Amino acid sequence: MKKRKLNFVTASVYALILLAAGSWLSIFTVENANLSTLFSQSNLMYASKFFNGLFGIGEENPAFFNAESWGNAWALTMETLVMSIMATGFATICALLTVVPAARNVADGSLTLVKKWHGRISFGFIRGGYIFSRAVPELVWAMIIIFIFKPGILPGAIALALHNFGILGKLCAEVIEDLDSRPIRNLASSGAGRVQILLYGVLPAALPRFLTYILYRWEVIMRTTIVVGFVGAGGLGQQFKLSMSFFHYTDITLLLFFYLILVFAADFISEKARYFIK
Amino acid sequence: MAEIINVNRISKNYERKIALSSLSFTVEKGELVALIGPSGAGKTTLLNMLGAIFPPDQGEIVISGKQIAEMTDQKKRAKKIGMIRQQFDLVGELPVIHNVLAGRLSDWGVMKSLVSLLIPQDKDYATAALDRVGLKDKLYERTSKLSGGEQQRVALARLLVQSPEIVLADEPVASLDPARAEDVLELLVNIASEEKQTLIASLHSVEYARKYFDRLIALKNGELFFDLPSSSVSDDHIKRLYSLKEHS
Repeated sequence: MKKRKLNFVTASVYALILLAAGSWLSIFTVENANLSTLFSQSNLMYASKFFNGLFGIGEENPAFFNAESWGNAWALTMETLVMSIMATGFATICALLTVVPAARNVADGSLTLVKKWHGRISFGFIRGGYIFSRAVPELVWAMIIIFIFKPGILPGAIALALHNFGILGKLCAEVIEDLDSRPIRNLASSGAGRVQILLYGVLPAALPRFLTYILYRWEVIMRTTIVVGFVGAGGLGQQFKLSMSFFHYTDITLLLFFYLILVFAADFISEKARYFIK
Repeated sequence: MAEIINVNRISKNYERKIALSSLSFTVEKGELVALIGPSGAGKTTLLNMLGAIFPPDQGEIVISGKQIAEMTDQKKRAKKIGMIRQQFDLVGELPVIHNVLAGRLSDWGVMKSLVSLLIPQDKDYATAALDRVGLKDKLYERTSKLSGGEQQRVALARLLVQSPEIVLADEPVASLDPARAEDVLELLVNIASEEKQTLIASLHSVEYARKYFDRLIALKNGELFFDLPSSSVSDDHIKRLYSLKEHS
């Protein structure tokens, strides 16, 4: 009897297979899709025009042979770097200030053996804030903030920080929730107060893990600077958008080159730093 | 000798399971008591209630003439009762010295505790305690880098710094190999008798319990099985304590 009963997991695997087969079937029969329309003659022409433009073929004065353009791109790269560091800094400060009451085991007193009446309220309030701030994408935050302030890297950094504040806050709160509670309770039984438990038990164990998340988010922020740049937040992204609009293809090549260097550098630094922490 | 702990008919239930039922005994100041008994007999539950981690369902515990339920000030309680468990008591990420000085936290304010993480305060306490447990050279070592036996010595050093009147030890040597277990246990007992502390330790090993402790309290199925000076505990007692057949 028990053997023949279809359990939930097996049933969902069958459903998944069926769904995948059905989807492909409907694409080809109902929608009548055809992959070869993507590779039409006109599309090929546009593509070759764009890539020729990127490599500066037929261009009299390509930007990547121009010292002034190099200097310009370098300045923009630095601006982008500054924006990403500012964004990470703002997000980290705000997350660290709010993270302790946002951990469930601190709120209900199971970690510190002290229960406060406002624990639940501040937990709900801060967690709600985290959800709200990370539910709004960076791009939307940037559009709102640039609408209020004038365009530049500071509004861009604030927009990125707002989105990442929610993410970092949630990740760090979960670090505290996953801490080994035994050393911390033992501190409580040797007479440590709430703040002392935080200093001696929670922070030493949690900070290295916070740092890995912060570095990882810095990496992501670095990549996202280009997106918020599109709506006027400054840096490489903004210039990328402008060059695209003016059909300055060789500028784009140069900007992409600097951007790639920046992303690689961020990846490298954060990876090495994380290795060093462990 | 004066009575320091009075346990009066305490009971504790978990869901439907009875952890302790109507247990009573008294302990005099300076006594070295070993708690023995099979797994699940209620040893850890008893120690946790003595350490005020949670209260008994029924009955009362009186420490130095004061109800334990009324000792709500954590800092004052830490001067009275100290606990040591298996080796997971320490904050592994901190250097040894801070784990030892954590025994001073009940005397320190927040500012002093914060400063101490940068410039260790009352360092003499820590060096003296570590010297006593034989780890003087590991002062600034990261605690998680130490071996299990060494970590347990650090926990002992913290207790020395905290210097409570009563030491409760819950399986203090359970995760150590026999040689290190005996080493740490000997140290624990020696420190307790030199500092004139009252020691109650739960142990798996009857052999160690008889060797190092004055008095053996045996629990079985949440009830007192026997409470005797260690010299008068016979092999027959032990056999009956651990026999599976008498389980109801």
